[in-house]
Amino acid sequence: MQIDIRNLSFAYGRKTIINGLSHSINPGDYLVIRGKNGTGKSTLIKCLLGINSVKNGMLFLDNTDINTFKYWTKFGYVSQDFDNFNYEFPLTVEELLKFSSIKKTQPQDYLKLLDQMGVLDILNQNINSLSGGQLQRVFIVRAMLNTPEVLVLDEPTASVDKQNTEFFYKTIDAYNKQGITIILITHTDSLEALNYTHTLTMNLDLSVDIEQKTPEKEAKLL
Amino acid sequence: MILSFLNDLFTLDFMYRALIAGLILGILAPLIGSIVVVRRLSFIADTLGHFSLVGIAVSLFLSTLGISIFFERPLYLGIAFAVIGGFLIELFRRSYKNYKEISMVIVISLGSALSAIFFSLSKKTGSLYNYLFGSILTITDYYLVLIIIIAAIVIALFIIFWKQILSISFDETTAKFLGVNVGLFQMMFMILLSVVVSVLLEAAGVLLISSMMIIPVASAMRISWSFRSTLVISIVFSELSVFFGLWAAYSFKIPSGAAIVSVSIIILIIIAMVKRIVQKRNIANLEELQK
Repeated sequence: MQIDIRNLSFAYGRKTIINGLSHSINPGDYLVIRGKNGTGKSTLIKCLLGINSVKNGMLFLDNTDINTFKYWTKFGYVSQDFDNFNYEFPLTVEELLKFSSIKKTQPQDYLKLLDQMGVLDILNQNINSLSGGQLQRVFIVRAMLNTPEVLVLDEPTASVDKQNTEFFYKTIDAYNKQGITIILITHTDSLEALNYTHTLTMNLDLSVDIEQKTPEKEAKLL
Repeated sequence: MILSFLNDLFTLDFMYRALIAGLILGILAPLIGSIVVVRRLSFIADTLGHFSLVGIAVSLFLSTLGISIFFERPLYLGIAFAVIGGFLIELFRRSYKNYKEISMVIVISLGSALSAIFFSLSKKTGSLYNYLFGSILTITDYYLVLIIIIAAIVIALFIIFWKQILSISFDETTAKFLGVNVGLFQMMFMILLSVVVSVLLEAAGVLLISSMMIIPVASAMRISWSFRSTLVISIVFSELSVFFGLWAAYSFKIPSGAAIVSVSIIILIIIAMVKRIVQKRNIANLEELQK
């Protein structure tokens, strides 16, 4: 999917969070969005996903204005700390993935995805008994159910240990190699483990630094 | 006492109607109630019940003016007003995005005020008691048929659209990425909830509607291990409450709605106590094993 941001601005009340941002994300890109707390990383993602309505500037998804865009199943989204999800009510992993399989996928798809993520054994466990790492893997499986073209992940490694973080980076890398566009918000300074194509660093003074990965950097990583 | 109750239950028409209606509502209330709890909107049933009461009061007021609306069946205007109440909640929720409860307080206040005004104007405040506390023992054949039709529609919609309903309930924000038309299903759920609240109003009364919907779910949550088990256990608790509530209402001449809800509360307390004892025993066993 082609994503084009044109002169996007966003404010909560009188407080401007994003000021005139323009950027394009091409199909198959791996974009890392960085920045300190309060720089508008999650706000930008929510604009991209139509959760925050765009009033100033333009946002095009596959050349369609976001306000008329309808094909949201092309996106997979894992929110920060799964904060929108009520995971306190009794619910098993299988129940969650069954009711989330609304389009396209066949019943065995989630089993295959859970197996790939190494968590098939937690199928019958209650969501509220899972560790942060297990929960993260389940929500990635959920986001992958519709085989999305774009996978958006908001600070997915914030509450998981080092081992799970490494596994997560490898998984995301594999998805990107399959042609899925990755948009990843991270608070980490070290990007060495990531095979990104470009970064977008959001600063407290509302400026944004865009950096393409240079061939030298790529060679160093290899 | 129980034997004479059982005998009357199947020989007296009004008792038989109350039992059938109660058992159907015993499925409907926790079915909708479980979704309400997942959405953290436990207060919404009370709010819609108060607004449904406005419809009933307006209907009674119009009949005193000689205006017949919905064949003088107050329940229909009650349903219509509960739906209006639901839309008002959504409307106010947009203005107070992070304070869902504010919109409900506004609607419940408006509902209470308007129903008091119209009941007073209709000069039929005597019937207010039944609407506040319910009267399942006095329901008619007409109402029983209506409950059966509404239950069939609600359960059918739940069976067909359970994935969409659970998706918007557990995570409204990301449901659209799964392929759910969030606006449509929000509206559908609000209408279903309004209809169920309105039919519960006759049986449980406006003050006890949310108790019938929420308490069996709250009890089931303490001992369930999945969504399905929560639903099944809450329906079992709800049916037990209806049966023993009817027995208590009939035997001790107390309001049926209040009796049903009281049994629900007793079940909640028993579950809480049993769970505490089991937990303590498990901890003691674990400590013994560690020694």
